[in-house]
Amino acid sequence: MVIMPIEELVGKQNRDGGWPYVRGASWTEPTVYSVLALLAAGETEYARRGLRWIVRNERADGGWPAQAGIDQSIWVTALVALLPPEQLGQEAHRRAIAWLLGMTGEESTLTYRMREWLLGNARPADQEFAGWPWVPGTAAWVGPTSLAILALEKENSRRPQAEVRRRVEEGREFLMRRMCRDGGWNHGSVRAWGYESRPYPETTGQALAALRGVRTPEVEKALTVARRFLGECRSAEALNWLRLGLLAHEELPDGYCPPAGVTSRTLPDRSLEMLVSAVQKGSNLFWG
Amino acid sequence: MQKTITRRELLAAVAGAAALSACNVEKPVTPARVSVVRAPAYDQSVYDTVRRLLDEHQVNVRGKHVVLKPNLVEFEVESNINTNPILVHAALEAFRARGAASVRIAEGPGHRRNTLDLAEAAGYFKTVPQFEDLFTDLNLDDVSRMNPPRQFSRMKKLYLPNTALGADLLVSMPKMKTHHWVGATLSMKNLFGVVPGGVYGWPKNVLHWAGIDESIADLHASFPRQFAIVDGIVGMQGNGPIQGVAKKVGVLVAGGDPVAVDATCCRIMRIDPFRIGYLRLASGGTGAQISEQNIQQTGESIASVATPFDLIPEFQSIRLENS
Repeated sequence: MVIMPIEELVGKQNRDGGWPYVRGASWTEPTVYSVLALLAAGETEYARRGLRWIVRNERADGGWPAQAGIDQSIWVTALVALLPPEQLGQEAHRRAIAWLLGMTGEESTLTYRMREWLLGNARPADQEFAGWPWVPGTAAWVGPTSLAILALEKENSRRPQAEVRRRVEEGREFLMRRMCRDGGWNHGSVRAWGYESRPYPETTGQALAALRGVRTPEVEKALTVARRFLGECRSAEALNWLRLGLLAHEELPDGYCPPAGVTSRTLPDRSLEMLVSAVQKGSNLFWG
Repeated sequence: MQKTITRRELLAAVAGAAALSACNVEKPVTPARVSVVRAPAYDQSVYDTVRRLLDEHQVNVRGKHVVLKPNLVEFEVESNINTNPILVHAALEAFRARGAASVRIAEGPGHRRNTLDLAEAAGYFKTVPQFEDLFTDLNLDDVSRMNPPRQFSRMKKLYLPNTALGADLLVSMPKMKTHHWVGATLSMKNLFGVVPGGVYGWPKNVLHWAGIDESIADLHASFPRQFAIVDGIVGMQGNGPIQGVAKKVGVLVAGGDPVAVDATCCRIMRIDPFRIGYLRLASGGTGAQISEQNIQQTGESIASVATPFDLIPEFQSIRLENS
């Protein structure tokens, strides 16, 4: 896997200041990862253009849409909240954190729980703790929950707050309940109709990153799965998250390099690769 | 005391009677042509078979933009989860040969974000020359907002990828599989893959909350220019669409009406199409569109290729024999 030179990342920036996934219009996710990667590399001019795009696209509810013009704030708000407040703007950052704190999977809302109680449905064990959804009004899943935990944990290390701490802890409980039987995570469905589901490398890496500082026998099991995936996997996205997850637990093998022939397919893949390499060298853009 | 009828009651009664009478009138259905052809293996013969299928349906794509939408789900290459790349390549060549201005392959998997890695693992890079140049990841494509023309679910709006919306012909190319939530996943359910993960996430859970059957019917209505080619050479039975086991059927099923194509596939799988919620919805509630008598079937008879797919216990009731 070859790390993209800064010039190439800059060259992919759209005229409006944002970045596409591959080509085309600017999206929030690739723009945030690109800005983080540029900041990690100490490149501020193009990062500032990206930041201006991000600030312009904040919605009235304090969240961010996937793309300019989409009329709903979604999970990408967690990525925006990962940006340093002094770069994004203190107020915009505070609103992003507030949006995250106000968001849960639909199954954790009072309305849903009341309806289920009235229907006589017992609450499944994996719905006991609140995680985050991809889109408001839907269930919580491993990916957005992991990203929200990363953002809130970073916020808490900067400015400790009881509510932020509580949501981080609850989110981590959510992740523990969604772990696959033999360790690791998939998108968040542990079993269906009694059939066990298998873990994925990318979500295993994400969840491990969000569980930084947690060491339990279950987490050890997940780390074993992650190490196995690291040896087998040939997806740049998955390898980025696996590396980050293992780094979070200081379990990335010394001198690890992704195998040759792995191709970064999208700009987030490439930016994330730069970011993970920066973390490997001691940068703290992910966990403050 | 004599009961008098107010004008308001009279109007309500008239409207009610009109609605009831409308329900009883079954709209005439134009029979849809569905082809069932034998295809014993993923080999060179598939190319000729697909060409003949398009000839038979006189699919006119001259100067048009065609988008092939296979079903890519998981990395397990040996498990027959994904539409076989040979079939997709055969369709690509066949549509090109019929004069299409462009033929693209596009998909947006529901669980895995690394679509191109998934396609590579499924053999697409090896089988389809210049695959990466021909492919659009629908999860990350630019989107436009649209309102489903017929609304079955509570989704009032959907953001959909421009590549799919701009197609003159969207060709749904699913694997013939059982599905542990809706019974069977075929050409209509395959359209979940056009819903962009970049907007709705992985999984596209918004569709589950809006009702899976209803969302399938919404998506079907959103793409009026479709053709379906179902990969039934080797399907999946049991706990599909991911954890089931291979089921050899040795057929391709194709046609311009996905509802009729899927109903035919169900009969081949020995599943009662009238017990599949989205087929009932899309056929207007009366089920006329999925009636065997309203499907002009060509090629092999259903009886000659039908083979019962194993179903998980929760879906035994949809078995044709149990209906």
